[in-house]
Amino acid sequence: MIGRSEIFFKWLLYSAASLLLLLLQGAVLQRLRLFGVMPFLYPVLAAVLSMCEGALSGTVYSLALGVICDLVLPGPIPCFYTLIFPLAGLCSGLVSRSWLPAGFLCSLVVSFMAFVLTDTFHGLLLVLAGKTAWAAVAMTALCEICATALFVPLVFLLFRRICRKCAADF
Amino acid sequence: MKNFLKEHGLWVLFAAAVIAVALAVMSFFSSSTSSPLENLAGIITSPFRTAFSSVANWFNDKQDYFANNQALREENQELRNQIAQMEADLRQAKSDSEENKRLRELLNLREKKRDLGELEPAQILEHSSSNWTSTLTLNQGTEHDVEVNDCVITEEGYLVGVVNQVGLNWCTVLTVVDTDISLGAQVFRTEDVGVAEGDFSLMSQGRLKLSYLPAGASLLNGDLVVTSGLGGYYPSGLVIGTIEEVQLDDSGATQYAVIAPSADLDSLTEIFVVKSFEIVN
Repeated sequence: MIGRSEIFFKWLLYSAASLLLLLLQGAVLQRLRLFGVMPFLYPVLAAVLSMCEGALSGTVYSLALGVICDLVLPGPIPCFYTLIFPLAGLCSGLVSRSWLPAGFLCSLVVSFMAFVLTDTFHGLLLVLAGKTAWAAVAMTALCEICATALFVPLVFLLFRRICRKCAADF
Repeated sequence: MKNFLKEHGLWVLFAAAVIAVALAVMSFFSSSTSSPLENLAGIITSPFRTAFSSVANWFNDKQDYFANNQALREENQELRNQIAQMEADLRQAKSDSEENKRLRELLNLREKKRDLGELEPAQILEHSSSNWTSTLTLNQGTEHDVEVNDCVITEEGYLVGVVNQVGLNWCTVLTVVDTDISLGAQVFRTEDVGVAEGDFSLMSQGRLKLSYLPAGASLLNGDLVVTSGLGGYYPSGLVIGTIEEVQLDDSGATQYAVIAPSADLDSLTEIFVVKSFEIVN
């Protein structure tokens, strides 16, 4: 049975790691252009942490991340990321518990899934507004997934390290 | 000696007088040259004088050298300071010159566009932070009376975008290529009116489209597109861009034009927020 202080410490570490990765996104990745797009770490954070911690904790974390994302990024509708990220977190947690064992391959799959969810909703809103065609959405989403996939190992290793450390300590 | 003078004193005095008279006569008759004694004395003392003079000159030279060296050092230091000051002035002048150029262009713009009211200069803090939007974050906000829907322009008067969100000391601008942008536009040459709006497919190429053109509009590549000002939401006559190509939409019934923005959105650093403007009929 893990005590309250241990849980607090674990989530403190996750928050610090997330902050570090958000700084990486804001300071470095935002200025990078890979395949014509910038890597976008937010969905990966939601997906990989949900894979490590399960559906419930992952959904709560993804909700908080979505709120932060909506506060700092322009979205197509208000609360766009607050709505999408918990869904992505829930799906990632369920996949890692039911279909694929949590690991690097699983982190790639759940990250891909989080991007598909996020970009599909992005595209849906644009297509409904008559601002684009699905082909352009698919191309951008594909480029975004490829550009961000390079950074999935970093997120995976960082979160797995915290997960294992806390599991071993407590 | 006393006895000698007593015995021969008169003879000695006489001989001295004779010699003196003789020398006086010789001096009188050879007036063009110095007297033999003077000459002799000069000849004897000349090397000594030369030596004294040389030594004195040497000392004077050394004294002058040290005095000049010190003065030169001070002068050199002074010149170095002057060069440093001039270089600083030159840098300042270059900076002032660039600012002057921007302000002159702004002044020209004000003279050409008298309907533009107060302009607030702003620095761009961040370019787009998402692959799905095209935005800029500026360092001016409500504390500088910036409001939502204020237009943002370059010093040349090219439209950059429209303020979308405002905070205390920041605001977010949707650039003209963003999908949420929709502006009343007019083709300058033909005066055809349409709507300039962002399109996601064109956004990645840094382009936007001019839609809802009247039937039979004859547009040419390179035609200038400006804001129409219809409805009074935005100032009229701000340059949006130039027409790059004219295409038919998916239905094949209506045409739209692809506009290349005149403002170079990727390299902007300083822009101006149009805080007020007069509606021109």
